[in-house]
Amino acid sequence: MRILLQHFGIYGMLLLSIVVQADPLPTKAPDTVQMVELLKGIDMRIRSSGDFKSLVYLEQREKDKADVVREAIVYRRDADEKLMILFSKPKGEAGKGYLRMEKNLWFYDPTVGKWERRTDRERIAGTDSRRQDFDQSKLAEEYNPTFEGEEKLGAFSVWVLKLRAKDGVDVAYPIVKLWIDKATGNDLKRQDFALSNRLMRTSYVPKWEKLYSESKKAELWYRKENRIFDEIDKGNSTLVIVRSIDLHSLPENIFSKAWMEAKSR
Amino acid sequence: MSQLFVIAVRNLIQHRKRTFLLGGAISGVTGLLVLLLCLSTGIRETMLESATTLMTGHINVGGFYKVTAGQSAPVVTEYKKVLEIVKRTLPDIDYIAPRGRGWSRLVSSNASMQVGIGGINIEKEPRFKEVVRMIEGKVDDLAQPNTILLFELQAKKLGVHVGDTLTFSALTPRGVSNTIDVRVIGVAQDIGLLSSFNVFIPESSLRELNQINEDTTGALLIYLKDLRKAPEDIAKVRKALGDAGYRLMDSEAKAFFFKFESVNREEWTGQKIDLTTWDEEISFFKWTLTAIEGLMYVLTVILLIIISIGIMNSMWIAIRERTREIGTLRAIGMQRTRVLVMFLIEAFTLGTSGTVLGAGIGILLALLLNVAQIHLPMGAQYILLSSTLKFAVDPSRILTGMLVITGCTTLISVIPSTQAARLKPITAMQHIG
Repeated sequence: MRILLQHFGIYGMLLLSIVVQADPLPTKAPDTVQMVELLKGIDMRIRSSGDFKSLVYLEQREKDKADVVREAIVYRRDADEKLMILFSKPKGEAGKGYLRMEKNLWFYDPTVGKWERRTDRERIAGTDSRRQDFDQSKLAEEYNPTFEGEEKLGAFSVWVLKLRAKDGVDVAYPIVKLWIDKATGNDLKRQDFALSNRLMRTSYVPKWEKLYSESKKAELWYRKENRIFDEIDKGNSTLVIVRSIDLHSLPENIFSKAWMEAKSR
Repeated sequence: MSQLFVIAVRNLIQHRKRTFLLGGAISGVTGLLVLLLCLSTGIRETMLESATTLMTGHINVGGFYKVTAGQSAPVVTEYKKVLEIVKRTLPDIDYIAPRGRGWSRLVSSNASMQVGIGGINIEKEPRFKEVVRMIEGKVDDLAQPNTILLFELQAKKLGVHVGDTLTFSALTPRGVSNTIDVRVIGVAQDIGLLSSFNVFIPESSLRELNQINEDTTGALLIYLKDLRKAPEDIAKVRKALGDAGYRLMDSEAKAFFFKFESVNREEWTGQKIDLTTWDEEISFFKWTLTAIEGLMYVLTVILLIIISIGIMNSMWIAIRERTREIGTLRAIGMQRTRVLVMFLIEAFTLGTSGTVLGAGIGILLALLLNVAQIHLPMGAQYILLSSTLKFAVDPSRILTGMLVITGCTTLISVIPSTQAARLKPITAMQHIG
């Protein structure tokens, strides 16, 4: 709690929104099946069955360096596992972007006009964020949960789960600790660990929001704010804010190199 | 012929002032050329010594392993089999050292930086200890697990000393985050560009960070007894590995870390072997040497042109002054060719004595500057891979330079000498001047 207060301030904490969840959530310590259901719940809430477009701000803070604020548009088509992040600000970054195609993450830089294939798990634009922070969630598919205990996270009662990557599944962080709100089932805090068990980053989600999705015929949830703190290089952090969401259909050919190149001009 | 030589020498002595000026100019140009040659040889030797110890062997058997098309790691899997083939193919080599290769974020409590990692077996690399000059700590401590050797600027930037702990944070070849903590065992003197981005840890620690097994290494660094055999030997290794069924990458004169982009763009997965020579691995900063040598040759050519014009003019003047003498010589029976040869010998003698004197002065100056240990500014250190200016004498290069200058001064004299040889005896004897 102290860390949360340090990071957000008391007003930030007040922003934590409580969501009334329709699905029944466990009232006592969840067993493995219930924990998997909790993870599936998070995955399902975030998943969009149709197209998804969001305007995102990324604020990067690094020790001894000026803060850098970037604006990007994130396009998603979860059914086809497609993702595109196209930067629009600042001027030097405009036109740069990432495109995920068939499990490959490509980076495009219009200044050199070249595509580079990048690892799927690398930092986005050198910030503390990763591709997974902008994409659909696959917690239940990628991790096996174990129960760690119950805690109070500020005003919220949370389940604490420890997730370990399933055998044969390659993820950026093989060990994850999740603080899941008992009342809503949303994760409010997340810690990512390296293979060596070293804490790599801590993320706080002070604000979840939702909107109705016609294609999904249900509500679609998203992390309105995600504050990511680098636990190795102390003092570095990244704030990801989703400014707006648009669930209208995107052009069919949007997830292509040609489209991105044309848009980057 | 000896008579002609005596006449030529006497003429040179007789016209002391002109000889002194022209000979001095030739000496000056030769001295400058020799000094520049010594500098470029010094840079070349320093570069070779530093580079072939810190980042490359004379021949490197490296490669990339790709788990997926877009995720490559600079490793050679099952390297012991490759090592056997190399040993069989090149029985007469100095030694082979397996060296781990990696790329990671290095973090201290004050700062962080991206670094290239050399995973080294210090016991197996005797030359490494000779090249690295320690400021703090002992290089042999690199034999202990989870230790690190830093360079001066890196230690300053990270704010660490011997005994402090640093953290490496990297992605394994499978793209999983991993960390290891390492203890600083030594800080070495900077070696220009090479020490700006390279750090060294034991290979076992790099394996732990990258989660790779004992039979995997970054590259086999092959050190030859005769460096000049590198192109021939690499061709033999290429053939042997190809015959053994290894997939080989096309030869490309680039350091391995510049190949990630093109390797990641290609669709293949699994292991491919990449063979490089030392000069291909350091091609990204060898341009400095090319630039220095280019500048040196341009400067020499300009000076040579000026000197040649001076020599030609002097010869014209000499011929004009000695027209009656030429007429007399021709009248008493000297052949035209002998007149031509006489003037050419004069020019050759002047050129030879000038270049010998100039080369002597140049070599002496280079040796004196070497002793003076001139400290280089940081920018120059970065490019020249040395903290002091180094000069080295390469007799064959100096001799070539001397021959070129002497040849030019002699050849340029052919025109006025031919003119002198063509003079009719009667016209020459009647000449007033």
